[in-house]
Amino acid sequence: MNVWTTIRGVLSKRGLELAILLFAISTLLFFLLRLSGDPAAVLAGEEADPDLVALIRQRYGLDDPLIVQYVRYVLSILTLDFGESLRGGQEALILVLQRLASTLLLAFLALIVTAAISVPLGAWLGVKPDAKTRKWVNGIVFIFQGIPGYIVGLLLIQLFVVELRWLTSIGNQGVTSWILPSLTLASFLAPKMVRVVAANVSEAMREDYIRTARANGASTADVLWRHALPNALLGATALIGTQFAFLMSGSLITEWIFAWPGFGLLLVQSVEQLDFPVVQAAVFVIAGLVFVVNAGTDVVFRLIDPRLRRQQA
Amino acid sequence: MPNTALLQIEKLKIGFPAKDGGEVTIVDGVSLAVNHGEIVGLVGESGSGKSMLALASMGLVPRPGRITAGSIKLLGEETVGLPDRRMQDLRGGTIGMVFQDPMTGLNPVRTIGSLLSESVRRHQRVGRDRASEIAEAALTSVGIPAAHERLSVYPHQLSGGLRQRAMIALALVNDPAVIIADEPTTALDTTIQAQILDLLRAKLVAAGGILITHDLGVAAEICDRLAVIYHGRLVETGPTADLLSAPRHPYTEGLLRAIPRFDRSRPRLVPIPGQPPAPSMDRGACSFRPRCDYATDACAKAPALTPDGASRSVACWAPIGAPVLERRA
Amino acid sequence: MTAQTETTSPVRSLLPRLRIWPRAGSGNGMTIVGTVIVLCFAIATIGVLIWPPAEAYTGNLMERWKAPLEDGSVLGTDQLGRSLLWRVAAGMPWSLGIAFTAAVIAMTLGTAAGLLAAWSPGPIRRVVQHLVDTVIAFPSLVLAVTVIALLGRGFWPLAATLGLATWPIAARVVYAEAMSISKRDYVMAARLAGVGTTTILITHVLPALRPTLLVMFAFTFADMLIAESALSFLGIGVPLTAPSWGNMLSESREYLVEAPQQMLVPATAIVLAVVAFNLIGDGVAAKARSRSRAVE
Repeated sequence: MNVWTTIRGVLSKRGLELAILLFAISTLLFFLLRLSGDPAAVLAGEEADPDLVALIRQRYGLDDPLIVQYVRYVLSILTLDFGESLRGGQEALILVLQRLASTLLLAFLALIVTAAISVPLGAWLGVKPDAKTRKWVNGIVFIFQGIPGYIVGLLLIQLFVVELRWLTSIGNQGVTSWILPSLTLASFLAPKMVRVVAANVSEAMREDYIRTARANGASTADVLWRHALPNALLGATALIGTQFAFLMSGSLITEWIFAWPGFGLLLVQSVEQLDFPVVQAAVFVIAGLVFVVNAGTDVVFRLIDPRLRRQQA
Repeated sequence: MPNTALLQIEKLKIGFPAKDGGEVTIVDGVSLAVNHGEIVGLVGESGSGKSMLALASMGLVPRPGRITAGSIKLLGEETVGLPDRRMQDLRGGTIGMVFQDPMTGLNPVRTIGSLLSESVRRHQRVGRDRASEIAEAALTSVGIPAAHERLSVYPHQLSGGLRQRAMIALALVNDPAVIIADEPTTALDTTIQAQILDLLRAKLVAAGGILITHDLGVAAEICDRLAVIYHGRLVETGPTADLLSAPRHPYTEGLLRAIPRFDRSRPRLVPIPGQPPAPSMDRGACSFRPRCDYATDACAKAPALTPDGASRSVACWAPIGAPVLERRA
Repeated sequence: MTAQTETTSPVRSLLPRLRIWPRAGSGNGMTIVGTVIVLCFAIATIGVLIWPPAEAYTGNLMERWKAPLEDGSVLGTDQLGRSLLWRVAAGMPWSLGIAFTAAVIAMTLGTAAGLLAAWSPGPIRRVVQHLVDTVIAFPSLVLAVTVIALLGRGFWPLAATLGLATWPIAARVVYAEAMSISKRDYVMAARLAGVGTTTILITHVLPALRPTLLVMFAFTFADMLIAESALSFLGIGVPLTAPSWGNMLSESREYLVEAPQQMLVPATAIVLAVVAFNLIGDGVAAKARSRSRAVE
């Protein structure tokens, strides 16, 4: 097996997708900004001083023909120059990258919580033959799937912060402040994961190779842990790659609810303040992150899953 | 000699709950014994209950089915109602099973070596390295070349024939006393079938075995005795040669006529008319009656499997040909 | 989704179809319960559109933060003494209306793109597939937040943005389904009999797609409802004065201590509507599955 060939293959394919995506997004942003009125006025904010508007217009070359502006804009993007924040004057890209660690921490915690919930629960649901229990748990999972993550977040705050006063709900102030945000973000993914793991396990349990394992004396636990789950989890973990975009959407809301200092919060705040350089930089960083995670899981799964390895060959 | 039988099935009944709240009987009062060094062929159409009989011997009747009556003794030990733990010790240790489809029967995300070693360490008190040696020896013994390298290979990296060999190795790795092979060649290319059958004959004779097949031709090649099953009941048993040269039950005769043969001139293959009965069909009358050329009024009552000469038995009111006993007299 | 995409993303080929899992109730029961709830919502929405409830917008500060069932108020009142019942009702044209419009946009575009990809030659198919893969790989909420920031708040910007961010999911499902339908014997038979592509599309493929489209629509509607209220919740959705469910939730954050009902009432409305649509989707899917099993 050639690791580098695999990585190159994935990168070239995914890289093209990323390039197209970034190009499309930047073009969209460029024209939307100009469609929605005078960008200088937008950039200057409401009720801005006409002098300031004129200054901005001159500074950003907004008097030039549209096509010139567009070319200049694309060139600056290519050099990762998104400009400075209109509010703090800081380099927009730096501002966003500073928030990267917080967002990644949150996503990581949420994935751990999701796994801790969905693997045991999903496995149990997948093998539990008792129709009545399954019906009840199915029903509960079904309803949970209908509860949007931000409502879960609000309910958690209501319970643990307002009623019980156990936890804090603002910002990143150490481990206790991690609990609610990671639970909230996990709630975006966990119900889906439970269903996928359960479906995969119950599907795997019906496979011929499970019967073979039983015929070789494997105990019930061995059948589940050593034969059904490895198969089921490979498929379910691959879901993390494809669901990462969804996780980022959830992160946006979670960070907003808990004032978590990641770039989701920064994005929402910048949008409210019409701080476009930062918005743009944030969108690009998120796109890049989604790309890295997707390509990463793609590579990893091609390397570890024997079935995929065959497809490749 | 019932005491020396490796596997002794007595009057076994297997039922599945029916939609109307009753129970559908899949296997109905089957008795069968496998002695040391003997290969018994269990022949029947799909749905006849032959695979269910095999799974029952392994203690693996799929839920919600269950053994409703009868007994299965493995080396003299009653396995019906045995606690899970003990049954797991027997499975793969004392009784091994080769399944039909090597494409789906081997776990795709586990290497051949890890599957074999897991089974070895489940049944024998050996360390990791020793288990790996035993696994390698098992692969070699089923004719897989470069066995050592094959240990770290995934099932999909092997050809169909090699995969079935690996499946056989897995069933044999702990030298079980009884081996059950369920349609072991059906999923394979014709050219490979003969090789696998040769291998199975060698391995099954060394212990004791049941070969389950719908193909009388396959059974004829390697089995010492045959048991023909129809609608969950044995309809004829006897030594292979006798059964093939002079079938007594009309169904056995029908199966024989449906085999393409090159050593005899026969104008054409004759299919058995009609459909195999649904498991839920009433068992008051002879189940084969609707498809039988020789049916009489007597067939309105189901015939029991009765001895027919020294080594044969048949369940038919009017067996084909002159009764052996009369002829001898 | 099919051989084509599996080569572009083999990981996906391992994913089970998310919704295939034997569900609790029978298909019919679930569909009926879901449909009844949805019908109630629909009737209430139309009612509110015809007779806009003034109680939703005017309140008496003296009567603020009444608990549910306190002093003749049904679901309680908010920080301005406005009736939560009437506000939830007045929010329906916003929340449900936007979700409906967005779902229609997404389904229309998605179906068109999916069929186009399924029935056109390689190059076009690959372009559509790449487009779909690319848009799906991007967090739709991030996209929506950004676009709405530029377009401004309001019913149409929100509905259009959500629809445009969501159509690839429908396209992917429709494509996969259309491909499998096009391989069925009766379609092959029609082709061999010389029936034209367009006719086959209309007489064979679209009818066979109907359950899939219905299921997709129900799930998309639920997703759009969640997305709409999420955006409003972030303050980037409908105009801040509109009583959409997301706006109500957003307001409620400041009064969780004083009046949890301000959060619980719109939250319940959202969950109820989402569960109702999921019920319909799962119910129809279960029924379609059992029917196709019966055919086999």
